[in-house]
Amino acid sequence: METALTKVKSEEYGGELIQLVSFNLEKEEYGINVLMVREIIRMLNITRVPNTPHYVEGVINLRGKVIPIISLRRKFDLMEAEYDKRTRIMVMEVVGELMGFIVDEVSEVIRISEKEIQPPPPVVSSGIEQECMSGVINQAERLLVLLDLEKMFSADERRMFSNVA
Amino acid sequence: MSIDCEDQELLEGFLAETTELLEKLDDDLISLEKSPEDAELMNRIFRSIHTVKGASSFLGFDMLVKVTHKTEDVLNRLRKLELSLTPEIMDVILEAVDLVKTLVSDIKGGDIVERDLEGTISKLIPYLSENAFEATVLAPVFAPKQQSAATPPPAPEAQPEGPAEGAASFAAEAAATAVQEAPAAERAAAPQPVAPAAQPKPQPVKEPQKPAAKGEDLSDNSTVRVDVKRLDDLMNQVGELVLERNRMIQLHSDYQSGLDPTGFGDDFGKLSKRLNFVTSELQMQVLKMRMLPVEKVFKKFPRIVRNLARDLGKEVDLVIYGEETELDRSVVDEIGDPLIHLIRNALDHGLETPDQRLASGKERTGTVVLSAAHEGNQIVISIKDDGRGIDPERVSKKALEKGLITEEQLASMGSREILDLLFLPGFSTKEQTTDLSGRGVGMDVVRTNIRKLNGIIEIKNDIGNGTEFILKLPLTLAIIQSLLVEVEREVYSIPLASVIETMRVSKKEFHMIGGQEVLKLRDSVLPLLRLQHTFGCQEFYSERDTCYVVIVGVAEKRIGLIVTRLLGQQEVAIKSLGKFLSNLPGIGGSTIMGDGRVALIVDPIGLVGGGAA
Repeated sequence: METALTKVKSEEYGGELIQLVSFNLEKEEYGINVLMVREIIRMLNITRVPNTPHYVEGVINLRGKVIPIISLRRKFDLMEAEYDKRTRIMVMEVVGELMGFIVDEVSEVIRISEKEIQPPPPVVSSGIEQECMSGVINQAERLLVLLDLEKMFSADERRMFSNVA
Repeated sequence: MSIDCEDQELLEGFLAETTELLEKLDDDLISLEKSPEDAELMNRIFRSIHTVKGASSFLGFDMLVKVTHKTEDVLNRLRKLELSLTPEIMDVILEAVDLVKTLVSDIKGGDIVERDLEGTISKLIPYLSENAFEATVLAPVFAPKQQSAATPPPAPEAQPEGPAEGAASFAAEAAATAVQEAPAAERAAAPQPVAPAAQPKPQPVKEPQKPAAKGEDLSDNSTVRVDVKRLDDLMNQVGELVLERNRMIQLHSDYQSGLDPTGFGDDFGKLSKRLNFVTSELQMQVLKMRMLPVEKVFKKFPRIVRNLARDLGKEVDLVIYGEETELDRSVVDEIGDPLIHLIRNALDHGLETPDQRLASGKERTGTVVLSAAHEGNQIVISIKDDGRGIDPERVSKKALEKGLITEEQLASMGSREILDLLFLPGFSTKEQTTDLSGRGVGMDVVRTNIRKLNGIIEIKNDIGNGTEFILKLPLTLAIIQSLLVEVEREVYSIPLASVIETMRVSKKEFHMIGGQEVLKLRDSVLPLLRLQHTFGCQEFYSERDTCYVVIVGVAEKRIGLIVTRLLGQQEVAIKSLGKFLSNLPGIGGSTIMGDGRVALIVDPIGLVGGGAA
């Protein structure tokens, strides 16, 4: 969401830098504003929840709190992959609720300047819904897709979660 | 209007006390009608209303003072035996008490609304006609409009939510008594003690905002009064818990430093036993603090029964047992409405008129027994009448007439299922809709509320001799006993309160009726639900030919859930799945098991509810 971005900019970096957590998904690199991320944990036992959208992997026990887990691969219609030792769950606060997102690998926290963010290209090939892409960062040899999960879920939540089944 | 912060405490005290008094008052008045000679009772009633009057004049609630004063006068005459108690007087007094309740709930709601006091007061006046002392203070010369213009404080600061009520402290009261002939308006407008006669600014009369009828429910469940003894017990338990924790830390550090590893297993075993004991004690204590005696709900029934019996021309004795039985506040809040409907039904449909009763060789006066009791982890509330009972034939005929069921459906129904028709929305045996019954809403309310509480309804019907409705409710909603079951390698937890029985059956015993798998169980036909289909589980055990059926009850309905295996019984704390997953059919929440994994809690309402409206 743009408020999160602007907050960093105005409060800490004087309109200059923002910090992103970068992660991989099917060999693509994505970035998420670090302020959204609560914690990053290893894979653990996920309890399947029946009658949910296909991308809802289930729920986990996060120190006494039960939170839903979303598979970003499935959400973005990417190929399924086996979970390995690099698979991580990124726990984020989305629209006021804690949720976990399964990603292939979390690589680093990077700082980029606001100016480097370019608007997303009009046509997105990878199947990611246009609305949750908030920009693209083109840095030397790497290309980062900036995600805005809040947008993805505020739109989806009503449509999918509650009306399923 | 909202009331000044400084005096919030004073006001809360007043509200708590008044509410308590008024609740008791209703009860006492009904008892008084039965035994009018009871001087002690009479005096108690008089004292209650007097206390309310005193407190409200102290705080400057003039409308309250006005009503309570008149009521007090009438009661005073009754007390001195200048009047004898008739049902008419009682009606008027009860009406006045209702008005007082409405006014108090207005104050509680934080804004004072203009109410028509004159109607009630004028009914009280005739009983005072020979009264020696004249109520100068409250002579009903003030039109209600003036009255309420005074009540929103015309404070000098001209604050719409003014401090008059609160600020009117001793001085204001002194003023109130001293300046008796001054209009009430002026007295209420005494925010500063020095200026009791401050000229009230004429303020526009507040529009009556909300319609009446919120005086009904005065009981306030937002704050808890806890017995100090219970609090002490709790503190003790917490102390114990701290000790056990220290023990555990000690044990761990001993173990890590390699001291005496042989005894560790034993010690740990003992520790976990004690910990188990302490936590379950603690849990009980906390649970108890959330508990209220069911009396809170039962208290208002004598009054309802009295009025209803008079309206219906029936003679009824209401007998109440077990009103001290305690249950969770959340349950207490929900149980009131269904009980009212059931009692109404018992009086209206169940009991016969005195003549009919005599003709069928019964006592002239009918009896309705309302009882509550604990039974294991449940509370059982029963409403039993000795009336004519429910005639299943009449019920099925009506249901057909109203088009609620078809002939075929009826043909396949057992006697139990026919009685369940009572709960269909729109069902009523009444030809005419009256203000009491006939819309077919009542039983639907019962069903809905009981479902919400994960309760079970049973009907015992003895044609000619009466009906008994039995409600079984869980004690609390936060921690529940549950049955852990396995469905194709997934663990689910079913609230034990809904489980009626479990059985192991061979798959050959299942029958198909109209595309629905059923099991013949004693005298009824039980619809079955395969949980692995409902929950879309992968099949692992398709070759097994026996399985377990868990029979669950939701309000009046019964259904059998087919599961792979029963794992045992466990007490679990309910955890919400969060708002994203809150509306899943058949899943009521989740819980965390001993090994840290999440198990989903089956919501029997969701599973059964599919077919019902």
